[in-house]
Amino acid sequence: MAPLRQSSSSDSHPASTRGEADTFDTLYRNNIDVMYRYASRLCGETEAAKDLVQETFLNAYRGFKNFRGEAQISTWLYTIASRICLRMRRRRKGAPERELSLDEFIPTSDGEFRLQIPVEGLSPEEALHNKQLREALDTAIGKLPKKYKMALVLRDMEGLSAKEVGAIMGLNERAVKSRLHRARLFVRRELSARGLAEDTASHQDKSIT
Amino acid sequence: MVKRAVTMKRRRPEVTSHRHEAGRCLHILRELSAFIDDELSGDICGEIRRHLGACPRCEEFVASLRQTVSLCRRSPAPVLSQNDRARMRAKILAAARAR
Repeated sequence: MAPLRQSSSSDSHPASTRGEADTFDTLYRNNIDVMYRYASRLCGETEAAKDLVQETFLNAYRGFKNFRGEAQISTWLYTIASRICLRMRRRRKGAPERELSLDEFIPTSDGEFRLQIPVEGLSPEEALHNKQLREALDTAIGKLPKKYKMALVLRDMEGLSAKEVGAIMGLNERAVKSRLHRARLFVRRELSARGLAEDTASHQDKSIT
Repeated sequence: MVKRAVTMKRRRPEVTSHRHEAGRCLHILRELSAFIDDELSGDICGEIRRHLGACPRCEEFVASLRQTVSLCRRSPAPVLSQNDRARMRAKILAAARAR
């Protein structure tokens, strides 16, 4: 990423305002796609995602002079977006915030152990193009309590390291991994249970879009 | 007394081996994400692989967890249109300058 110029002075001289605008444009251009992707995955719907992105860049605009350059710009923006997301009022859908206990995912029967994601006969690419499965994945992620969702989205969808996720969420790596594991177990169970329900209902509709 | 001790000795292995097996599955389940992410030491990895080879239900469990992670990793990225990108930029700058 091209290095960003920091505005050289804190006074309100027009030149500094111009510099801030240029700096903002670079920041925005380089990061808008990543931030929108992250916000969409966290919020699950377009309008809420746009709100989150705007709020994130507005905060970044105002706080840029505090950015020390110790972290990557993207990490800094992820951190701002995550904090705002945690503060945002939970709109209509979504599970209440709660802790996921590992015990609730420990299978108690053979059937639970053997729950399988309904991807039988599909290659990984085909599975992703399967509209139902993709929607089931979105729904499952949408049901996760925010702090677990964040760990899963940052790690498994945004592809960040556990260390980076820890820096963003203010957690140590161990805590990140623990949340990630629970989030994955939750999504696995949701997807599998859905597959099971569909299997019992019928085997038709495995349409690939 | 002696007889009783002998009886206990005979029963115990059966009970512990059953508990041990169930405990092993639970232990493995706790480590599966780290296993999938290749974060465990070679020793523990080997131990888990051996267990998976011998325990079909844990093997199926790990397969479905891998599929879950794979679906997340390959999930398509939502994209913003050029128009939305420009509109949002204008909104942010207007809000920033309003203060």
